[in-house]
Amino acid sequence: MSFLDWATGLHGYLFVGTILATLGIIAVVYRRNSIGVLLGIELLLNAASINFISFSKFRTAAIDGQIFALFIIIIAAAEAAVALAIILRLYRLRETIDAGEANLMRN
Amino acid sequence: MVQNCIWIFSLPLIAFVLQASLGKKLPRQGDFISVIALLGSFLLALPIFLQVVSTGNISEAMSFTWISLPLPIPDSFLTSHPGISSPTFNLDIGILLNNPTAIMLGMVTFCCFLIHLFSTGYMKGEDRYHMFFAYISLFSAAMLGLVVSDNLFTFFMCWEVMGVCSYALIGFYYKKPSAINASIKAFMTTRVGDTCFFLGLMGLYIVFGTSNFSEIYQGLQGGFAEGKTILGVSALSFIGFMIMMGTIGKSAQFPLQIWLPDAMEGPTPVSALIHAATMVSGGVFLLIRTFPILEAGHVLPIIAYVGAITAFLAAMVAVVQTDIKKVLAYSTISQLGYMVMGIGVGAFAAAFLHLITHALFKACLFLCSGSVIHAVHTQDMREMGALRTKMPLTFISMLIATLAISGVPFFSGFVSKDRILGGALAYGMEHQVHALIPILGFAAALLTAFYMFRLIYMTFCGPAKDEHKHTHAHEMPWNMVLPTLLLSGLSLSIWFAGPTGIHGLDPFEVHWFDNAVAAAQTQAGIALHHGDEHIAHSAHGIALVLSLILATAGILLATFTYLKHLISADAWKSRLAPLYNVLVHKYYFDELYINVIIQRGLLVWNNLLARFDDRVVDRILVDGWKDISMGIKAFIGKFDDLVVDRIFVDGTGYVTAAGGWILRRFQTGRVQQYVILSLIGFTVAFICLVAGPK
Repeated sequence: MSFLDWATGLHGYLFVGTILATLGIIAVVYRRNSIGVLLGIELLLNAASINFISFSKFRTAAIDGQIFALFIIIIAAAEAAVALAIILRLYRLRETIDAGEANLMRN
Repeated sequence: MVQNCIWIFSLPLIAFVLQASLGKKLPRQGDFISVIALLGSFLLALPIFLQVVSTGNISEAMSFTWISLPLPIPDSFLTSHPGISSPTFNLDIGILLNNPTAIMLGMVTFCCFLIHLFSTGYMKGEDRYHMFFAYISLFSAAMLGLVVSDNLFTFFMCWEVMGVCSYALIGFYYKKPSAINASIKAFMTTRVGDTCFFLGLMGLYIVFGTSNFSEIYQGLQGGFAEGKTILGVSALSFIGFMIMMGTIGKSAQFPLQIWLPDAMEGPTPVSALIHAATMVSGGVFLLIRTFPILEAGHVLPIIAYVGAITAFLAAMVAVVQTDIKKVLAYSTISQLGYMVMGIGVGAFAAAFLHLITHALFKACLFLCSGSVIHAVHTQDMREMGALRTKMPLTFISMLIATLAISGVPFFSGFVSKDRILGGALAYGMEHQVHALIPILGFAAALLTAFYMFRLIYMTFCGPAKDEHKHTHAHEMPWNMVLPTLLLSGLSLSIWFAGPTGIHGLDPFEVHWFDNAVAAAQTQAGIALHHGDEHIAHSAHGIALVLSLILATAGILLATFTYLKHLISADAWKSRLAPLYNVLVHKYYFDELYINVIIQRGLLVWNNLLARFDDRVVDRILVDGWKDISMGIKAFIGKFDDLVVDRIFVDGTGYVTAAGGWILRRFQTGRVQQYVILSLIGFTVAFICLVAGPK
């Protein structure tokens, strides 16, 4: 199997999804900026979407996974709206959007 | 007839309830209720009585099961004891209407009615007038219930109710300390006898399994009690002795005679009704009912001695008494002694006849003395005298009754007393070791005639000793005179034996009483062994002559001493000073009982028990239990504190707090840390899921 075959097959897509998910997790965990965290979450969601679509394309004839991906995009939009509203509230409260500062639930 | 019996004793009971609850609000404080109730009882009892007089026999019975208790007796016991038929305890109560019942009913209702009537005059204006009638109505109901009872159980219940009424009525003037003491004394003294009676009753249940008279008579004839023993003595002797003790208590026999004279603290109609005519005769009636047991238990000689001693000792004391009611009280004890002696020597019919005649003339004597006391407001005979002209009707009544009790021919007491003395003499002649019994009996007859005429002379004859009291004396109203006259009319021998009352010589002799009692004896299965017919016949002849001589001697002696003053009573008093002192102190019986038996015996025992109670029960058991409880309390308290509270309750708190402290460490509030942790958790779970056992 040539590299191109490998890259355009299921594994290539899964590899991209895995990299996206890893980058998303790193962004969620290490970004101080809440917007960055939000972006990380978006990366995670997109990684999930890519996985759904890849499995749908290469493993079954049905389009279930692609419909899931559509839903995930819609949910991601709604989630982004809610998250941005929360971040706005955080900024009003703390004059910063550092995720580490949102620690009222500590201990 | 039997149904009438229920009404006979229910009417006074209803009267009691009405009087006790409403009496105070009714006009005349409701005395008419009691009088009418007793009149009703009398009118109901009269046909029953007349049937006995005319036909000579009545025998009806009615009974029902009052209490039926299943007994927890195992079947194995029943099969091994075939004599016991059913494991159920049945208490049957009912009415036995036979000749003695009918005769007693006639006598009791008549006396009760007349005494109720008399009381309406005597008690007029007294405090608690309605309660007086309530008590005597209850008493009448109890006495009538006792008479008609067909078993010893209800007999005993009525007996106790009479005791309570007696207690209440002796202490009727409750503001007088002496009356209170007398009532307590009477109650406590009779309690001794009653306790014995109850023991006898229990013995009867053990032996016969019943207390019904007819069943007991049948059981005796069937030899049911043979060979049975209670406390090591023959069962019948035990029962007979205990029943005799009941009589000794209730009928004031030696040695429990001390309460009756003190009972004279009560109002005079009470003395007439309870302490002369009826209740004290209840004891004799008990002997009559249980005669077959007494005979089979061989206690008759003891009874004869008790009666003879009582008759003589009480008559001796009566001679020195100056209180008119005390004289009559001692005379009552003495006459009851005669009856008991008569039962003891087997003169069953004579004793029963004396019960009836004595009730009538003694009620008359007491009512007359009540009239006298009411007239002169004193009971001391030394302050009376010359009342004959002031109270002629009372005098005549009392004289007739006195002649009757003294045993003069033509009067009722002669008939009955002569027969008892005849029976006693025959007994003494037959068993010469028992010669003391007739001797004491005859001596008492002499004394009776003497002290009764002493009473008459001191009260009604001679000069008036207290002018003031004499001038204010007057004859009583009709409701007090009529009862005394009627009772004295019935103290004539014509009603009982014949005009003269001399047995065998009277041309117009009547036999209803003898016939009735003979029939009753046959029913009860009493086969009196008459001993030697010849001895009995000659004994009755001798007794007749002897009692006539003694009565005459007694009357003459009294006449010379207290009417003619040929013999000086004071001189004899000083000459016989030791004897006089003994008699005035009533043989020191009170002192004996109070100083020796109670102070030295019962009080010591009482103190011992009190000490035991204090030292052992109170200190050791009660206080000891307290200490034990305190110890247990302290231990449990400590356990609660240390184990339950500290370890369990506080421990739970500590564990929870510590857990909280540990878990709180993770709650940093940093979202990104949570994400790392959940990622680690997810990874671990994933690895476990993939690499774990399939």
